[in-house]
Amino acid sequence: MLRSTTLLAAAGVLAALAGGCQGLNEPIYIAAPAALDVMGTDMTGAPNRVKGGVVLRFRKPNGTEQAQLDSDTQRLGFAVPWLKRDRIHLELLYTVSNLETDPQDGTGTFTIAVDGASELVKYDETTIAAAFMAANLKTAPLALMAPPPRSLGPGQTYQGTLREDDFIEGELDLDAMGRWMAPFAAVLINRSDVNPIGLDMVPPTAVIPAMQEIDVTLIAEKHMSCQFMVRVRSDDDQLLAQSGDANLFVPTPLLYVPNIAPPTP
Amino acid sequence: MTVAAPAARAQVTDEPNPVIFPDPAKFARGLYTEGEIGSVVLFGPAGGGKVGPGFAIGTRVGYDLTRFFAVQAHGIGSTHQTSFPGMPQDDQLLQLYQATVEGKLTYRFGQLSIFAEGGVGVARLSSNLLATVPYGGGYLTRWRTGLTAGGGGGIDYHSLSRHFSFGLRGSYFWLRDISGSRDLIATLYLRYTF
Repeated sequence: MLRSTTLLAAAGVLAALAGGCQGLNEPIYIAAPAALDVMGTDMTGAPNRVKGGVVLRFRKPNGTEQAQLDSDTQRLGFAVPWLKRDRIHLELLYTVSNLETDPQDGTGTFTIAVDGASELVKYDETTIAAAFMAANLKTAPLALMAPPPRSLGPGQTYQGTLREDDFIEGELDLDAMGRWMAPFAAVLINRSDVNPIGLDMVPPTAVIPAMQEIDVTLIAEKHMSCQFMVRVRSDDDQLLAQSGDANLFVPTPLLYVPNIAPPTP
Repeated sequence: MTVAAPAARAQVTDEPNPVIFPDPAKFARGLYTEGEIGSVVLFGPAGGGKVGPGFAIGTRVGYDLTRFFAVQAHGIGSTHQTSFPGMPQDDQLLQLYQATVEGKLTYRFGQLSIFAEGGVGVARLSSNLLATVPYGGGYLTRWRTGLTAGGGGGIDYHSLSRHFSFGLRGSYFWLRDISGSRDLIATLYLRYTF
């Protein structure tokens, strides 16, 4: 009797451990297909830019999940995304190497700018710049997320991370601009937990979509190279496990274009 | 008329010996469990500091088929930090889980025993990080779950309780799907035999 009780207890402990391991939420790393390589300044002396991206492959919702999405959308009165910020956690890992060899003139500054798209909205810094140019306005381009510029000596390497909380902010800004008419400069410049300016129209019940495309731009004034990868934790195992496209979720986000009035003469 | 003589009885004439000499035959034998803590160090393609040494915690459940031979199931998890300077994969945390089925030979002398064990099983990485690290024209790993096999040995000290013993063990396992890397597992364990 004692032995069977003990065995039962041991089995219970093992089952609990197995259950715990199931919930470990193991990350998946998606490497960029190629490194970004910048050869220095252009003809006008401006730093060159090169862009590359990672599109994350998620599975389609199954019947039950789709029914839940439809039900939530009807209940809340606005679109509830399949890829939710609260369930998909992103991080960008990157290294930038200065490939110059001249110790006198090899030091240069680089910037990493990150744009991208959720399943509903896409933000592209160059589109914003084009809209400003069309309106005869000058502005410094604003990326969705951009760590501060850094200086690198010849042969040096910098390793950086855009953390999950940076993506939480970026995803809120993206959704606020695309769906809730937030002024883009206000939300991009301000961190919402410090100054929520521009977020007045975002309903408190809004379900913020996660980004499914991450575009990285390397801007450098010297010959530099950037390798990057995206670290994904998906609470609901939404990343597509199989290699084929049969169950691939293919969203068509709308490109965000700011409403800019040309200056009055 | 005859009267049966009473049986003769030996008399105790000495003091009982104050030193207890446990009888190994009275140690519990059969189903046992173990808990262990220690360290896992990788060698080979994933070694050399690429996947640093890690803290490990594990468990075993086994059964003594005879006084000398047992079969056991072993599970151990260890956490490691990567070092790939100049690459985005640098400085990431990674867990390695290993589950094996093993055979164990034991030779006991008094409270001490030495043992050798070996087995085969699966090793699983907590992420696909190593599958993004170039190695030898491919990548450091192809699959997150792969074959592992190996063995080791250790020394066990049995307490005066018939159930508890503890000891030190080391084992060396081959991790086929981490490009043939190996790992050294060194742990302290506590065993309870039911």
